[in-house]
Amino acid sequence: MIAMVAFGGSLWDVVTAEATYGSTMRFATLLAFAAIGEWIAERAGTINISIEGMILTGAFTSALGSSTTGNVFVALLFGLAGGLIVGFVQGVMSHRLGTNQFVVGLTLNVLAVGLTAFLDAQIEPTVTSTGTLRIPGLADIPLIGEALFDATWIQYLLYPLIPLAWFVMYRTRWGLELRCAGENPQAGDVSGIDINKRRRQAVYVCGLCSGLAGAYLTLGQTGSFTANGVSGRGFIALAAVIFGGWTLKGTIAGALVFGFFSALGSVFQALGFQANAQLLVALPFIMALATMLIFASRSRQPAALARPFVRGLT
Amino acid sequence: MTATTSSGAAPAVVPPEGSPPSAAAPTPRRTSRWRRAVPIAITYIVSVAVALALCALLVSITGGSASEVFSALIDGSLRSPGAWGLTVNTAAPLLCVAIGTIWAGKAGLSNIGQEGQVLLGAAGTAYLATRLEGPGFFVIVVSLAGGVVVGGLWALLAAVMKYTRNVPEVISTLLLYFIAIQMTDYALTKRWLLASLSTDSRVNNGQPIKSDARLPTFEIFGNSISVGAVIAVVLTALIAFALARTTTGFRLRMLGLNPRTARRAGVSAALVGGTALAVSGATAGLAGAIWLTGGVPGDRFTSNMSSNIGWQGLLVALLARQRALLAIPMAFVFAVLRTGSQFLSATGVDRRIADVVQAMLVLALLVPPAIQEIQRRRAKGEVVA
Amino acid sequence: MSDPLTGSGAAPVDGAAPRLVVGSLGSHRVAAVHLDGITKRYGRVVACDGVDLTLERGRVHGVLGENGAGKSTLMKILIGLVQPDAGSIAVHGAPKVIADPLAAADLGIAMVHQHYSLVEPLTVWENVILGERVRLDRAQACERVAAISARYGLGVDPLATVSRLTAGQRQRVEIIKCLRREPEIIVFDEPTSVLTPAESEQLFSVLRAVVVEEHRAVALVSHKLDEIIHATDEVTIMRGGRVVDRLATSAATASSLAQSMVGRPVSLRSEAAALGLIETVAEVASDEHAEAAVEAPVVLEVRGATVRDRDGRVLLDDLSIAVRRGEIVGLAGVEGNGQRALADVLSSLIPLDDGEVLVAGARVVTDRPGALGAAGVGVIPEDRHDSGCVLDLTVAENLVLADLRPVSKVGLLDRKAMEARATELMRAFEIQAASPHAMMRSLSGGNQQRVVLARELSANPRVLIAAQPTHGLDVGAIEYMTARLRAAAADGVAVLLISTELEEVLTLADRVCVIHRGRIVGEMSAQDADVERLGLLMGGAAA
Repeated sequence: MIAMVAFGGSLWDVVTAEATYGSTMRFATLLAFAAIGEWIAERAGTINISIEGMILTGAFTSALGSSTTGNVFVALLFGLAGGLIVGFVQGVMSHRLGTNQFVVGLTLNVLAVGLTAFLDAQIEPTVTSTGTLRIPGLADIPLIGEALFDATWIQYLLYPLIPLAWFVMYRTRWGLELRCAGENPQAGDVSGIDINKRRRQAVYVCGLCSGLAGAYLTLGQTGSFTANGVSGRGFIALAAVIFGGWTLKGTIAGALVFGFFSALGSVFQALGFQANAQLLVALPFIMALATMLIFASRSRQPAALARPFVRGLT
Repeated sequence: MTATTSSGAAPAVVPPEGSPPSAAAPTPRRTSRWRRAVPIAITYIVSVAVALALCALLVSITGGSASEVFSALIDGSLRSPGAWGLTVNTAAPLLCVAIGTIWAGKAGLSNIGQEGQVLLGAAGTAYLATRLEGPGFFVIVVSLAGGVVVGGLWALLAAVMKYTRNVPEVISTLLLYFIAIQMTDYALTKRWLLASLSTDSRVNNGQPIKSDARLPTFEIFGNSISVGAVIAVVLTALIAFALARTTTGFRLRMLGLNPRTARRAGVSAALVGGTALAVSGATAGLAGAIWLTGGVPGDRFTSNMSSNIGWQGLLVALLARQRALLAIPMAFVFAVLRTGSQFLSATGVDRRIADVVQAMLVLALLVPPAIQEIQRRRAKGEVVA
Repeated sequence: MSDPLTGSGAAPVDGAAPRLVVGSLGSHRVAAVHLDGITKRYGRVVACDGVDLTLERGRVHGVLGENGAGKSTLMKILIGLVQPDAGSIAVHGAPKVIADPLAAADLGIAMVHQHYSLVEPLTVWENVILGERVRLDRAQACERVAAISARYGLGVDPLATVSRLTAGQRQRVEIIKCLRREPEIIVFDEPTSVLTPAESEQLFSVLRAVVVEEHRAVALVSHKLDEIIHATDEVTIMRGGRVVDRLATSAATASSLAQSMVGRPVSLRSEAAALGLIETVAEVASDEHAEAAVEAPVVLEVRGATVRDRDGRVLLDDLSIAVRRGEIVGLAGVEGNGQRALADVLSSLIPLDDGEVLVAGARVVTDRPGALGAAGVGVIPEDRHDSGCVLDLTVAENLVLADLRPVSKVGLLDRKAMEARATELMRAFEIQAASPHAMMRSLSGGNQQRVVLARELSANPRVLIAAQPTHGLDVGAIEYMTARLRAAAADGVAVLLISTELEEVLTLADRVCVIHRGRIVGEMSAQDADVERLGLLMGGAAA
C-alpha cells in the first residue's frame, strides 16, 4: 500500500517536472526527424536499416562542416548531405541494382560506424554548437512551454516538417505515387509510374531527414561528434514507425514515447531518484520491444513493404 | 558465346499467358560454362579492386600511406611470429557466427542480433567457467555448452516474439542486442554475477578464467591453434551437409523459398523457423564461448567482450552469399583484416580502417551478382524497370 | 479529339501482307492502329512471330487465341510494357515507337487490365488518376469520375475504397480509368472472366456505346468463342505466335473459329469448355451426366465454416458443402466470393474461426500445417507459384515436397530414389522438362501444373481440391487436365472443383454449387444446369 503511494508520488513528480518534458523533447526530436524519413520510405515499400548509419554520417559531416566553416547553417547543410550520401547508396543498390535491402542497409551501417570513427580519429573536427533560442510568450506555457519553445533552433525545424510531410504524402501526386509503390507496385507500374525511382527518391528523402537528425545531434544536442554516438537510436526510430502503425501521427507519438524513455535517465538524475544505470539505458529498447509486442499488427503494413519490385514477376 | 545444343530437351513451348517467360535452357556444356565464368570473374575482381582502391585513397587523403597500411596488415595477420595462428583463432568464432546465420537465412530468417548473442554466450561461458570445479575437460565442455544455450535462448526469445506477435526478427534481434549490452554491463558490476572478485580493479572486469578452463591448443610451426578452430570447421561441414542432404535441411530450404507451399507440405513455420533462429543464436553463443576461452582477447570477460565478432560474422555470412562452405575462406579474410589491424598504430593510421575495408568488400561483392541478374533479364527481352 | 481520317493516304507500311478489306469502310480509311510484322522472342521461345494486326475506328476487333498463342504479349507491346524485337507500329498512319505505358497513353492507346491494376487501399478517384502528370486536384478528379460513370451507366462512387468493391465493380473502375484519358484505341483483356453472365451482357453494351457512338477503336482479346461471337465485328485469330486467319465475325462459325484457333478439327461438344462455349457446355452437361450419382459415402464434409480476415471482414460465412466418393462437385462463383479462403482452409494454410472439416467422417484440425494433406486431401491450388510449388527447387524436389518418407532414410535424402521417382512420374504425367534436376522455374506453365497434379495424385488422395485447374493453359493442356480429373473421380477420389469459369464447372461437375459472399447460395445437378439461373445465383440474386 505504502509502496503504491510512493510509486504514485514519484510518478507525479516525474509528470510535473519541467525537466521531464525538456529532456523528452530533446531525445524525441532526434527520433522524430529520423522516424519521419523512415515513415516516408516505408510507405513507399522500402525498409531502411541503414538509418542508423545515415544519422551517424549526418552527425559526422555536420561536425566536419562546423569545424571547417564555423557556420551553423552550413554545418546543417553538411549534415543533410551526409545523410543523403548514405541514402543515395542505399537507394541505388536496393532499387536500381536490385540488391537485398537488408544486406545493403546492414553493411552501410557497419561502414558508417567504421568510416566516421576512422575519419574522426584522423581529422578530429571541432564543433561550435548552437545556443538555445527562446520564443517569448510561447515558452511561458507551463510544463511544456520551455520544452517546445526554448530550445535550439534546429528543433523548431521539426514543427513545420510534420505537416509538410503529411501534405506531401497525401496531397501531392508524388505522395500518391509513393503510396502506390508501397501498396501495389504492379498496378502503379502498369499505370506508368516508375516504381523503383519513387522508392529510391523515398530513400533519398529518408537520408535527408536522418542527416538532419544527425546534425541536430551534433550541433544542437551534444555539441560534439562521438564515434558511434547514435547507439541504436536509429533503430528506435524504425520501431517508432512500426509502433505508429505506419501513420504519421502514430510515428510522432512513437518518437515522443520512446523519447520519454530515453530521457528517463537524466530526468531521474535531475529529480534525485536512484535507479539502475544499465536499466535506464536499456529502457527505450525494452519499451520499443514491448510496444511492438502489444501493438504489432501487420494489417496496416504497406502491402509491398520490403518486397523488391521487378517488372514481369508478379 | 557458343550456342548451347539441345540435350534432347523438349522443344521450347510458348509459355501460356501470364506466366513469366521460361528460361528453357538445358544444362550448358562444359566449354560454354568456362567461357561464361570468365567475364563474371572479371566483374568480381574489378569490383573488389575498386573497393580496395577507394580504401587506399581514403588512407592517402587522411595522411597515411596505403602501402604501409597493407604491409602492416599482412604483418599483423600472417607474417609475424604466431600471427597466422592468431588469425585462425580469430576466424573460428567468425565462422561459427556466419554458419548459424546462413542456416537461419536458408529458412528465410534475418537474424542481425548476433553481436548480442555472442556477448551473452561469452557471459554464460564466463559464469560457468569461473565457478565450476572439476576436471578441465568437464569444465570446458559444460561452459561451452552454457554459452551455446544462452545464445540460443536469446535468439529463441526473438523467435517467440515473431511467431506469437508478428514482431519482425530483424528488429527484435537488433533491439535485443542493445539490451544484452546493458545486461552484461550490469552483470560486471555484481560479484555474484560476473564481476571480478579482486578488490583492486577500478574498471568493471570479470573474474579471470583459469588456464585449465580454457580451450586447449596445439602447436603447428610455432603457432598455437585453438581447438575452437577445429570445432568451427567441423560445425561448418555439418551444417553444409545438413542443408544439402538431410530432410531437415530440405524442409528448412522449402520454408525459406516458399513458406506457403511449405506449410501445405506440413512444415510449421513456427517450429522449423523458430528452431532455425534459435540455432543461429546458439552458434553465435558458441562463437562467444570460443572467443572467450580461446585466449585471443585476454583471460577474462570484459565490457564489450564481443568486440564486433557478431557483426563481422554476419558480414562473413553475407559475403559468402549463403553458401556454407564459402564461409570458411571468407571468415579467414575477415580475420586477416582484424588481426592485421593491430599493427596499424605504428603507421599512424587508425585501426578502424580495417572495419571500413571489411564493409567495402561486402558492398563490392554485392554488385557483380546484381549486374549479372540485370544482364540476364535484359537478355531475355524483359524491360528492366 | 482530332480526326485523322482526312489527309495522308492509308497505304500500309511496306512489306506488310495485304489487309483484308473488312466491312463497308474502304481501304482508303487510315487505320487507328496498324501493327506490322511484330516479332518478340524470350530467349528461345518465340512469343510473337511476324504478327500483323489492324484496328479500325468504330469497330470492335477481336483477337482470338488460346492461352499461349501470343495475344497477351502482342497487347503488352501495343501498350508499351514490352518492346518488340522486330516490326513496326503505325498509329493513325504515322509510324511510332511505344517506349512505355506513358507513351502509349500519349498516343491515345489504353488498356482495361484484368488484374494487378488497382491499388486496394486507395479510393476510386485516386486509382483513376494514377500515373497522370497533372497536379493532383481531388474535386476535379471526383467530378470527372462521376461524369464518366453516368455517361456509360457504370454506377461507380468516386470516393469508395477499392478494397470494398466487388470484382465486377472493380472492372468498371478500370474502365473509367481507361476512358478518362479519352483514348482513341482501347484494348480489353479477357474482360468477362470476372463477370457473371448478366454483367458480361452489360459490358458488351458498354463496348457498343464506346465504339459505335464515339467512334473509337476497340480490341477485345480473348480465348473464349462466346465473347468473340457476341461482341466483335471482325476477328484476328492467333496460334503459336502467328496470325492464322482474319475475317469478319459474321462470316465465321464457331467450329471454323475453333479449328483456326486450335489448328486441328475440333469437336465443339467435347471441347466446349476449353473453347468457351457456354451453351454447348450446358447442353453436353445435361446429356452426359444423365444418371444421378450413386449414393456413395461422403468423403469430404465442411460444416459451418467461418473465416474472418484481419480486418474482421467475413470471407467464409457458415459455409457447408459435402463431396462424395467418386463425385465431382463444382463450386461456381464470381472471383472474390470466398473461393480462395475455402481452398486455403482445405490446404491447411489458414485456420477456421468456426465450423469444422471432416475427412471420411473424422474431424481434422485446420490450424496444424499439413494436417489436411496427411488426412488425404490433395490440392491443386489456384496459384501454383504461391502455394503449389517452389520455383527455386528442382522438378524432382517439387515432386516429393509433401512426403519425404519414400525418398529418405534415417533423415537423409536418398537422391537416387528421388530421381527414380521423378523420372517415373514425369513419364506417367507427360511432364516435359530438361531433366528431373531442371529448376521448376524453367518449366512452362502447363508443365508446372502437371508437376503439381502428379505430386498430388501420386499420393493417392481421398479428396482432390482443384482450384482453377485449367487457368492459363492451352487447349491441349486443358483437355489433359480435364481427362485426369475425370479419371481421378472414376478411381473413387472425391473431387471438389472450384472455378470462376462456368464452362469448366459444367463440363466436369456432377453437381454444381454456387458460392456468393462466402456461403453456398444454390445447388443443382449438372443435368438440370441452367446457365441463366446459375448466373443469377452467382450475381447474388435469390434462386
